[in-house]
Amino acid sequence: MWEIGPILRALMRNKVGAVLIAIQMAVTMCIIVNAVHIIVERKALMARESGIDEANSFYITSTGFAPDFNEQVTVQEDLDMLRRLPGVVSAIQINAIPISGGGWSQGLQTEPGAEHDGAYTAVYMVDEQGLKALDVELIAGENFSPTDVRWRERSQSDWPDQTIITKAMAENLFPDLPYQEVVGKTVYINDIEPIIIKGIIDKLQAPWIGWDILENSMLSPEKTLFSSSRYLIRTEPGRMNELMPQVEEMLAESNKGRIIRDPTSMPDTRERSYRSHGAMIKMLTVVMVVLTLVTALGIVGLASFSVNRRRKQIGTRRALGASQGAILRYFMVENFLISSVGVLLGAALTVGLNIYLVQAFSLARIEWYYLPLGMAILWMVGQLAVLGPAKRAADIAPATATRTV
Amino acid sequence: MLTMNNITKVFRTDLVQTYALREFNLNVGEGEFVAVTGPSGSGKTTFLNIAGLLETFDGGSYSLDGEDVSHLNDKARSRFRNEKIGFIFQSFNLIPDLNLFDNVDVPLRYRGFNSSERKRRIEQSLEMVGLANRMKHLPSQLSGGQQQRVAIARALAGEPRFLLADEPTGNLDTKMAHSVMDLLKDINEKGTTIVMVTHDPSLAKQAKRNIYVRDGRVSELHEVAAFAEEESQTTAKASNG
Repeated sequence: MWEIGPILRALMRNKVGAVLIAIQMAVTMCIIVNAVHIIVERKALMARESGIDEANSFYITSTGFAPDFNEQVTVQEDLDMLRRLPGVVSAIQINAIPISGGGWSQGLQTEPGAEHDGAYTAVYMVDEQGLKALDVELIAGENFSPTDVRWRERSQSDWPDQTIITKAMAENLFPDLPYQEVVGKTVYINDIEPIIIKGIIDKLQAPWIGWDILENSMLSPEKTLFSSSRYLIRTEPGRMNELMPQVEEMLAESNKGRIIRDPTSMPDTRERSYRSHGAMIKMLTVVMVVLTLVTALGIVGLASFSVNRRRKQIGTRRALGASQGAILRYFMVENFLISSVGVLLGAALTVGLNIYLVQAFSLARIEWYYLPLGMAILWMVGQLAVLGPAKRAADIAPATATRTV
Repeated sequence: MLTMNNITKVFRTDLVQTYALREFNLNVGEGEFVAVTGPSGSGKTTFLNIAGLLETFDGGSYSLDGEDVSHLNDKARSRFRNEKIGFIFQSFNLIPDLNLFDNVDVPLRYRGFNSSERKRRIEQSLEMVGLANRMKHLPSQLSGGQQQRVAIARALAGEPRFLLADEPTGNLDTKMAHSVMDLLKDINEKGTTIVMVTHDPSLAKQAKRNIYVRDGRVSELHEVAAFAEEESQTTAKASNG
């Protein structure tokens, strides 16, 4: 009833077109499945939460230039003003912005001495309002008190004796301990400087989105005197856009001895940081759509050619008793067989390309279910593409069998 | 077996309508071997298409093997063709990509026979036309006469009650044409009703009964003789010239 044997034998005698379509399907499947895999990976990266209240946070830079510019006083006055501003939940001076691409990192180790290995971490210098401004949750230990916070000069290389670290960093440093027990432990920075872990926060990503240890972050209780300050401002929900120009103007007006610049929202920062990922996703999506279309058109072309070439044969089949459904089925089965060769070859190519990508670009391995999914989609594309020509074939009149032309 | 009453078939275009068959009446009894002759454009092929349920008609009634087939839908017509009618075409209409076995198998698959039954029928019908030893050959590896024999085997494999032949010897040389005609006569002797459309009066004479079609109608019998005379003169002139 399905005529699989005769169809296969007929295909074997006219293989060129079918083989070309099968190869096209194989290449399409290989590229589509790997592209989907890359897209899913990239989307997963883009979906990672930084840990801060991105939707309602922005930052702005203040750079002093006047000879009498007093940064310590300015920072204190700025923070007082910002924290009093209606709509602001909290504001801090901070040395780096999560997922922004630029920041500080340091190594922490559990034993003193250069001979011991450490774990790298991003460093955020914040005051006692750091947790509130960053919207991170203290899950063990204590927050910094105002007296813990010190001023740091540009040339200063030593560190405060307390820190708050992320849970991921705690587990990195002390893999055998529950994170709660890490509170109070001493770790060493610059090989030998002891720091006591005062608290653990749930999550705070580093500035570098491509970092393998993106979740390793530490808070250092410091405010900086680097002549240029960055303020991170967290607003009440929905008020960020309204407050950004207001803050910019207020800070600019309050002190003429400095420049206020680059007010940037966290959503913009995320967009900029992940722009290449977004572009890659768009490009791969376009490639997938175009390839699928080209393949589908190739199938339509081959099937249409095949129908036109076999008009008399189809008429004869109809005369011999084939119903329209039988003719439709013939072409659908024929396409299914060609597609089957294509997708099986495609599965092998997909795995091969993935192995290469894993080795060359450290991509993750494709999940097993991508293959049957890709095969099913390509089969479906094939069946949909052949449907039109197959319907035209089914419409060929049985009387075509007796026509001489 | 076959009864056509006042069959009318009109081909319409935007500008004209042409009557291919007009009040066409014909009765073919069980076991007959009828040759349908007539000049080009007389309506022979239209008659054959309608008789074989390959085409519908615009007026009249048609019953085949005791069943009124005038208003069958496409699916029922397909099934009827498959089960009750065998076709032999002028240009054989074998499927070039399939070997003889698969070619004969085509109508049997549509019939829904199981594989062993199909195999039995294919072997039997190819045996009957003397080609059982060439089952795995492609049509292109056979002569015209052999290809027509395969087509006859294909037509007979389903054991139809009614065989329609459209110029079955039209593409064959005289020797092969006679051989095919002998085969058709044998088949008819075994009880299969045959209606054959042909241009060739000498072949028509070999049928038990002749029908002459002119301007879409069945004409009187004496016209058959006149047509035969006309055709033989044309043939003679052609060979002299």
